[in-house]
Amino acid sequence: MRPADLIVIGGGLAGLTAAAVAANRGQKVTLLTYGSGSLPLASGAIDFLNAKAPDAAIKALSAHHPYKKIGFKSIDAAAKFLCDVAAQANLPYVGRLSAQIPVVTAVGTLKYSALVPESMDASRLADKRRIFVAGINGLKDFYASMLVDNLKKYFPDKIFDAVKLDLDLLGGRDITCMDAAQLLTGNEQSLADALKDLNSTDADAIILPPILGLEGNDARTVIKPQIRADIIETTCLPPSPPGIRLQRALIKYLQRSGVRIYENSKVVRGVGDGKKITGVVVEGAVREKIFPARKVILATGGFYSGGIVMRDFDTPREPIFDLPVFFPMGEGNWSNRGLFDNRPQGFSMTGIFTDDKLNPVDENGAVIYDNLHVVGANLGGADFIFERSLGGVAIASAYRAATI
Amino acid sequence: MEKATVVVIGGGATGLGILRDLSMRGVKALLVEKNDLVNGASSRYHGLLHSGGRYAVKDQEAARECIIENQIMRKIGKSCVEPCGGMFTRLDIDDPAYEEAWVKGCADSGIEATPITLDEAFRLEPRLSRKHVKSAYLVPDAAVDGFRMSWQLIDSSKRYGGAFKTYTEVIGFDSVNGVLRGVKVRNQFTGEEYEIGCDIAVNAAGGWAGFVGKLAGVEIGVQPDKGTLIAFNQRIVNHVVNRLHKSSDGDIFVPHGSITILGTSSMSIPDPEDTSTSREEVESLLKIGEQTFEDLRDFRILRTFAGSRPLYIPPGGAVGRSASRGFAIVDHERDGLKGFFTIVGGKFTTYRLMAEKMCNQICAKIGNSEPCRTAEEPLVPEVSDEDKARAKKFFPSYGTNLAATRLGAERFKKVVERLESDPESRELVCECENVTRAEVEEICKDDTSFIVNDVRRRTRVGMGTCQGNFCALRAAAVFADMGVESTAKDSLTRMREFLQGRWKGIRPVLLGRTLRETEMTRAIYELSMNVTGGEPK
Repeated sequence: MRPADLIVIGGGLAGLTAAAVAANRGQKVTLLTYGSGSLPLASGAIDFLNAKAPDAAIKALSAHHPYKKIGFKSIDAAAKFLCDVAAQANLPYVGRLSAQIPVVTAVGTLKYSALVPESMDASRLADKRRIFVAGINGLKDFYASMLVDNLKKYFPDKIFDAVKLDLDLLGGRDITCMDAAQLLTGNEQSLADALKDLNSTDADAIILPPILGLEGNDARTVIKPQIRADIIETTCLPPSPPGIRLQRALIKYLQRSGVRIYENSKVVRGVGDGKKITGVVVEGAVREKIFPARKVILATGGFYSGGIVMRDFDTPREPIFDLPVFFPMGEGNWSNRGLFDNRPQGFSMTGIFTDDKLNPVDENGAVIYDNLHVVGANLGGADFIFERSLGGVAIASAYRAATI
Repeated sequence: MEKATVVVIGGGATGLGILRDLSMRGVKALLVEKNDLVNGASSRYHGLLHSGGRYAVKDQEAARECIIENQIMRKIGKSCVEPCGGMFTRLDIDDPAYEEAWVKGCADSGIEATPITLDEAFRLEPRLSRKHVKSAYLVPDAAVDGFRMSWQLIDSSKRYGGAFKTYTEVIGFDSVNGVLRGVKVRNQFTGEEYEIGCDIAVNAAGGWAGFVGKLAGVEIGVQPDKGTLIAFNQRIVNHVVNRLHKSSDGDIFVPHGSITILGTSSMSIPDPEDTSTSREEVESLLKIGEQTFEDLRDFRILRTFAGSRPLYIPPGGAVGRSASRGFAIVDHERDGLKGFFTIVGGKFTTYRLMAEKMCNQICAKIGNSEPCRTAEEPLVPEVSDEDKARAKKFFPSYGTNLAATRLGAERFKKVVERLESDPESRELVCECENVTRAEVEEICKDDTSFIVNDVRRRTRVGMGTCQGNFCALRAAAVFADMGVESTAKDSLTRMREFLQGRWKGIRPVLLGRTLRETEMTRAIYELSMNVTGGEPK
């Protein structure tokens, strides 16, 4: 087998983005994935950092933060690239790095992100008078009255109306947002009809669980002209249709760009020559298979995805290349007393440290492999969930690594 | 003033057993508990229904009591007991002389201990260490669900007129000339204080018995002894597996449904409220546990938890592991308070016997000559096959049986009716434990449901594999819909507290695949729902 210009290991947001960026630059890319990646868990919105102006806040971070190694140019370019890829799949994103847009969550809080799927942009609520919150008969995980109770706190002057739509989905098992989105893909008229019955006006908004299909904005494009109110989707419990829409948009792009995708391919180790990785070994039912490469991007995620594992206390490991894993907060600060706290969780800051080319480094800062780049939740040094930067770090590090 | 002949203090297995026994003998009894029922050692233990094997060398009286009660529990609490059997295994590092003493002890105590070959042992328990296990015996141990048995005790008591009040704390006693007249209590939610008149009060407060005694001005030798346990997400063992050595930490594995509990440690603590667990305790349990099961660390740990054994320390007696696991009844007439009793010590397996002996003394005092019938009559009637068949239309047979044993015949029927009439109530609120919305709604209406955690304990919502990842949102929403919360909290606070409660038991075991679950929890609730929070109090 001829070596690929680039092998990307991991099919989450970081891995898909890295493969897309490299393919866009004419490289011969191989993507090895195992499992479904983390996008089905994602809200669909891309958080860069929890600040009124994420760009300024990123620039003000201390030097050890992964964003600082990535550099602002790549962060900015990554945001544009992702929006472009999504738009090509009729999945328009709105927003910019200098501000944040509100999104209504499944429990009725607002979350703020720099890049938001157009269907979730809740800044449109501001000038509405009445807000319908529409649950669906038989759909679980969306509790309109609870959502209204919490959302009212942000909009005390608006009229809220919790309603229930009957889409004739009830019958057998209870259904999730994912099931409903799947059922409504290419079959959205029943929802359009039910929404019409609300007799909404231009001064209204309708908040829905994210069930408007799985193919970009297609379902919304059909429904929107029939309804006078603005339709706004919320986040939801996984599997999350907005995350899956983004996943599909990226995969479509990769397929069009000639990226070879090998699913169900578990990379077990690398083959190296000094400071160079020359290929990776994939586990097989009968025998292992070697994929030779000139360059490798490691996008296997953090503890959630198994990119970092820890069988025994105090010994986190990176299982493929056995790269050094650091936990900067120390053993004594592995976790906080509160699950939700006002400071980062030590375990979540655990990960691989890199130089500014995202090459992994040892405790002395020396590069271990100079053609291996680490991206996404594999990176250590910050709690991306706490600081709301998981998506931003994923695409920006991917962009940076793919353009070196 | 509210009145009862007997006030029972403490809603653990002992107190509930006494309530049931008295009620069956026609004595008007009222139980008060300062928290929810079974919030102490009766649920915070390994759930082992002892054959007595564990006490066969040290305490043969306890061993004999265990084997007799073990047989009774299987009969009266059929749906609470999983008759999985037990195995004692001696490892190469254990003293062979103890094995001899143990075999003799079992024979003397009437416990059937059947020696098996190592091949047979490895066939029955494939994960046992082939390197370390040197001999094995089968004994009639079993697993018992402390929650379920306690709810059934309450149901049984209620049928005979027994009454109870949860979240009602004892704050004092009323006596005249050394004769008890009543118990002063406080409602934990409203703060209201009042007196319940009675002839007899029984202090069955377990680890808290010393505090209750102090309120009555009597000294009680009870030492709270903390035991820490680990719940694994898999059924690692088929039998209860005990180490065949002098009882020590981390040497019991008990299978419960789809999980396994490893216990326990033993540590004297000043405060029975202390159910904290630490990474050090977990590490020490794992270290011992992996002597019997070498690949123990490859299993996902769900959580860790701790409870306090109420060890009875007679004046000048031993503490910790050497303290007796037996129980004691004290008639405080000798301390100058007529009508006040304390029952302390013992273990879950023998709660019924303890209650019987206690009630015999009470009945003698109040001139009631009814015999004890708690050993003969099953706790609850069995759910009919007809109702089960109706339920199976809505959920898998596995879930049907789980719900049937959780709910008992009467409530199960009501849940089935809900399922039939309201299609939306068929939604599974908790996939891990197969709990439908209908069941959550039914339990929300129950007279023991005041806060969302009460519903959790009853239904098992949030206690399974995902530890609340998916059902925290659903439970908080259903609970808000039912409007039963006794404290003025919004649904967000409730959901956050629910997850924080789960976090308490996860934090000391934050390794392996538990880390993965935790990052998922945070991704869902912090990232997708923007649930935030400062440091909890």
